[in-house]
Amino acid sequence: MRLIRIRIQQYRRFSGVLEIRDLQPGLNLFSGPNESGKSTIVHAIRSAFFEHHRLTSFDGLQPRGDSSAAPAVEIGFEWQGEHWQLAKRFLRQRRCDLEIAGRQYSGEEAEARLAGLLGFQHAGRGGSKAEHWGIPGLLWVEQGSGQDIVTAVAHAGNYLKSALGASLGELASSSGDQLLAQVQARRARLLTATGKPTGEYAAGIARLGELEEALNELDTKILQYRQQVDLLGELRLQQQADAQKPWEELYRQARQAQASLDETAAWSHDHQRQKQELQSCQQAQQLCSDQLAGFARQEQELQQRQEKFRQASQELDDLQAGSGQAGQQLQQARAAWQSADSALRQARQREQHASLQRELQQLEQQLADTGKRLDQARTRQAALHEQQAALQKNRVDAAAHKKLQQLSDELDRLRIIQQAIAGRLAYRLEPGQQLQLDGQAVSGTGEHLFLESLAIDIPGVGSLRIEPGGENTAQAARRLQEADNNLQDYLRELGQADIAQAMDAARSHQDLLKELEIGERQLSILAPTGMGALEQQHSQLQQRAGAIRARLNPDQGGCTYRHYGAEESAREQLAQAESAQDIAREQLEEAEKRAHKSTLDLGLARQARDAAREELQNLQAMLDDPARTQRRYELQQQLVQHQARGQELEASIQQLQLRINAARPDILQQDVERLQRSAQTMQEAAGQRERELLRLQAELELIGAHGLEEQRAALEPELDHSRRRHDELARRAAALDLLQTMLAEKRQALARRIQAPLQRHLKHYLQLLFPGASLQVDENLIPELLIRPQHAGHEAYMDLSFGAREQMGLISRLAYADLLQEAGRPTLLLLDDILVHSDGQRLSHMKRILFDAARRHQVLLFTCHPHNWQDLGVPARDIRSLVTAVS
Amino acid sequence: MPVALMPDMLKILHTADWQIGRQYGRFAPDDAVVLAEARYGAVERIAALANDEQVQAVLVAGDIFDAQTVSDRSIRRLFNALQAYAGPWFMIPGNHDAALAESVWSRTLRLGAVPDNVHLLLEPQVCEHPESGLAILPAPLRQRHTYDDSSAWFDTARTSPGLLRIGLAHGSVQGVLAAGAASGNPIDPGRAASAQLDYLALGDWHGMKRINARTWYSGTPEQDRFRDNDAGHVLVVGLPGPGAEPLVTPHAISTYRWLSQEHQLDVQSDIGQLISALQALSDNTVLELAIAGHMDLAGEQQLQQALAVAAGRLRSLQCDLSGLRLVPSAQDIASLQADGYLGEVLAELQGGDVPADPAVVREALLIFANLLREQAAAPGPAEVQP
Repeated sequence: MRLIRIRIQQYRRFSGVLEIRDLQPGLNLFSGPNESGKSTIVHAIRSAFFEHHRLTSFDGLQPRGDSSAAPAVEIGFEWQGEHWQLAKRFLRQRRCDLEIAGRQYSGEEAEARLAGLLGFQHAGRGGSKAEHWGIPGLLWVEQGSGQDIVTAVAHAGNYLKSALGASLGELASSSGDQLLAQVQARRARLLTATGKPTGEYAAGIARLGELEEALNELDTKILQYRQQVDLLGELRLQQQADAQKPWEELYRQARQAQASLDETAAWSHDHQRQKQELQSCQQAQQLCSDQLAGFARQEQELQQRQEKFRQASQELDDLQAGSGQAGQQLQQARAAWQSADSALRQARQREQHASLQRELQQLEQQLADTGKRLDQARTRQAALHEQQAALQKNRVDAAAHKKLQQLSDELDRLRIIQQAIAGRLAYRLEPGQQLQLDGQAVSGTGEHLFLESLAIDIPGVGSLRIEPGGENTAQAARRLQEADNNLQDYLRELGQADIAQAMDAARSHQDLLKELEIGERQLSILAPTGMGALEQQHSQLQQRAGAIRARLNPDQGGCTYRHYGAEESAREQLAQAESAQDIAREQLEEAEKRAHKSTLDLGLARQARDAAREELQNLQAMLDDPARTQRRYELQQQLVQHQARGQELEASIQQLQLRINAARPDILQQDVERLQRSAQTMQEAAGQRERELLRLQAELELIGAHGLEEQRAALEPELDHSRRRHDELARRAAALDLLQTMLAEKRQALARRIQAPLQRHLKHYLQLLFPGASLQVDENLIPELLIRPQHAGHEAYMDLSFGAREQMGLISRLAYADLLQEAGRPTLLLLDDILVHSDGQRLSHMKRILFDAARRHQVLLFTCHPHNWQDLGVPARDIRSLVTAVS
Repeated sequence: MPVALMPDMLKILHTADWQIGRQYGRFAPDDAVVLAEARYGAVERIAALANDEQVQAVLVAGDIFDAQTVSDRSIRRLFNALQAYAGPWFMIPGNHDAALAESVWSRTLRLGAVPDNVHLLLEPQVCEHPESGLAILPAPLRQRHTYDDSSAWFDTARTSPGLLRIGLAHGSVQGVLAAGAASGNPIDPGRAASAQLDYLALGDWHGMKRINARTWYSGTPEQDRFRDNDAGHVLVVGLPGPGAEPLVTPHAISTYRWLSQEHQLDVQSDIGQLISALQALSDNTVLELAIAGHMDLAGEQQLQQALAVAAGRLRSLQCDLSGLRLVPSAQDIASLQADGYLGEVLAELQGGDVPADPAVVREALLIFANLLREQAAAPGPAEVQP
């Protein structure tokens, strides 16, 4: 479809005529500022097609203030090689004329043909509204509504689908959706959207569960009932057995065991008693035996006593014989001792004398010795006294000597110093000439030192005075003077004339000291403890020698002096005498001891013999008593009797023990307990059973009256019915579910097939804007999701920005136009002020898209921004230039 | 049977397995109530028959009650149902109502519900009844299951001369019945001979069965299973005298006839045959129907119609269609006007390639077909035609 010419007269903004000729098959660009009438042109085209020419009221159609105007629109276009000429006039002289390739139509018929051609509806009455616009509503974009494609597509939906349907060879079912809705509705009665049972189905399942539970409960009760009945049967059988009182037999056995036990106890008692009797019998035996043994011992003792008496008598006799001999020996020993003792006394006197003489001799020797030493010592002592006196006179001792030396040295030192610093006057006088130095004449050659001013008197010349330079000379002279003074003072003190004499005195002082020391040492050798002690020692020795001389008989002494060597033999004799005396004394003591012992033994022996004799006599008397014989006989009789009884008892005890062992009383005791307890338990169990039986009987009677199995039987049909109903519903739900799934799947597959061509066109344009992107449309062909590779996930069309929606809207419209064209439908795109919200880059892409679409479709583009569209390859026609005044 | 007509011959009535208190779970609740009720009706008819036939005694060979714990009311109702016959009733407990330590019988006795003319033979000892000329040798079950022949003592039991020796036992005759039925409570097939019985009345097998000339199972008087084994009878036994062979006459007494049928549907005309077979059944039929094969949607509609009619008329109808596959014909599909993707779904459902339970697929197909049919009948809002 291609518009060729548009003529608008007295229409809204145009009170005159606007005519557009030479419309091109592709892009046609119209520009003009705001309120220049762009939208009026679009409005006029819409009115020419959509509005009934018969409309009586049409707000704002006439130019402002011109109520007599008759708005008219004429449109010439080509369609399938035929020329269509449409002329419509509103409000005044209302008409609609349509000429198609020379065929004239008018009024309603003309309008119907238009609607059929372009795919829209006329409003039943009143003005045409968006829902009537159909395909043109989609392809003719009003100012500011480019982004709103949803309603536009919805209104065009059936036309679009029929266009698609035609291209798909009528694959779509005419009534599929209705049927699908019915299936869904029926499924919804049984299943929720997620496939869970609901409504009657869910109630059926619940009811079935309840019934099954009830049945299970009944089954459990019935099973319990049957088990209890069986138990009752068993109890009945046991009760019959209980009626025989089987525990009586056990009681009887217990009694029997008790009797055996009692018997055994009696045996035990006997056994115990006999054992005691045996014990006392054995004791009696022992008593008899002991007494008899006593008698036998007495008789034995008599013999012993006789023997003892004999021995004691014998012993006494022997002792009496020996005692005489002992007295004799004593006398001899005593005599021997007395002679030895006197010999000893004589020897001792001799020896004493010899010893004194010898001592005296030694003393005299010592006296001579000490006397000599004493003389020497006295001499030495006198010499010492002299030396000490000499020493006392000489005062130059070691200390003085040392001090002197120091003083002399100091003086020497000062002199040397003076020499060093003294003024020196060297002179060589002509022979014969002399002069006086400090009043001292000198001649010849010499040197004079001076420390103080030196007065030189040269005879005939006068006197010279030389003053030593500086203080030091004077000071040195002073010090020298002081030192000399000191020395002279000290020499005076020591009483020495000069230093040489003093030194000699010091040497003699030293020699004296040495001599004194030697003398003292010699004296100390002679009298180590001093002179007094030596003298005392000497006098003591003299006294002692006097004493010894006094003791010695001068006669004897004289004699002895003559036999000086007898001392040795005297000592030997004394030793011999002493030894002889010792031996004699020992022998005497021995003899005395023996004699004493002999006397003592004799007394004891006599006493022992007397005692033995008395004992013998006593025992003999006792043995001879006749009562003792009688008693002994009786005892022997008793012993025999007791022995016989003892044997008897032992045999009896052994026999009893064997019987007791065989009877096992411990086991018997256990038997009694076991049997009694068993019988009791049995009896109690029987009682218990009796009670249990009655209880069970009562319980079963009660339960039996409930008719459990009949209840169960009554429940079963309901359960069966419920189960069948459930199965039916389950099958029906499954079938509906299956049906719905299959229908939905088929429908979706179909939708995909239908959309395929649209997708192809959408993709064609979209690639120019977003390479790799795709735009999905829903089953009503409305854009739904934009998928761009550089954007994660899907973007819902409604969530896109205004600009992007407008772009997608245009792309979709172009795609619809392609689709319609393929289906052989007329396409015309009217775009009023579109893409005003697109940025430069997007706009340039969109222009490429638009240019591409315009190669297949006629596009009328109106804009108030002509500079935006300069690169579309077509000139922009200014609307204002198209308007002409009223003719 | 001319001998049976002899007016002075001693006659007894033999029945068993009344199973009072039994419920029928697999049926719809109202059907189940009616079937349970029918068992009392059967007992009433037995009493009436005994009265009509002038029998000397009625022997009930065990399983009078279906369970030990039936309600007191059921017990009382049973004994009330015996009123029509005033002669002696001899009953023994079977495996369902064994004379346990506590049993339905001890409860019955406690309730005082037993009329004087009813003899409960709970102990294995001879019960002589000179008035009717009978010596009854009962083998009551006193455990739920025994592995000993409880009738063994008959062989050595002494009875007064002149009285007919009639055995009364409940259990499985060894080597005669199906293997499954001969599990517990064995009975020697030669017992009547070895114990010199004039007649041995047996219970436990619900079908009527002759073991030998003197040994019979009467079967249950009111059918309760879909097993075609001559259930629903009682036996009137004529006893010419001690040692003489008895004359046994079965009487059908059941109200309802239990039938189990299988039908294979392969061609269109099979449905017609099935429908006429259903129509031929009496109203008192309890029918178990299993239909296999395949059919188209039209046939299915026809079948559902026929089944609905039969269910309304028969006492009970249970139908198993799990073996039936629905194969829409080309015509079906054309009439359903399933265009577009609906047509694809339909094709897949009938193609049998859907990975789901075949029963579910079948159901889905039916629902789908019904919806399509409804839609075709009342089309939705008009499509917008551009």
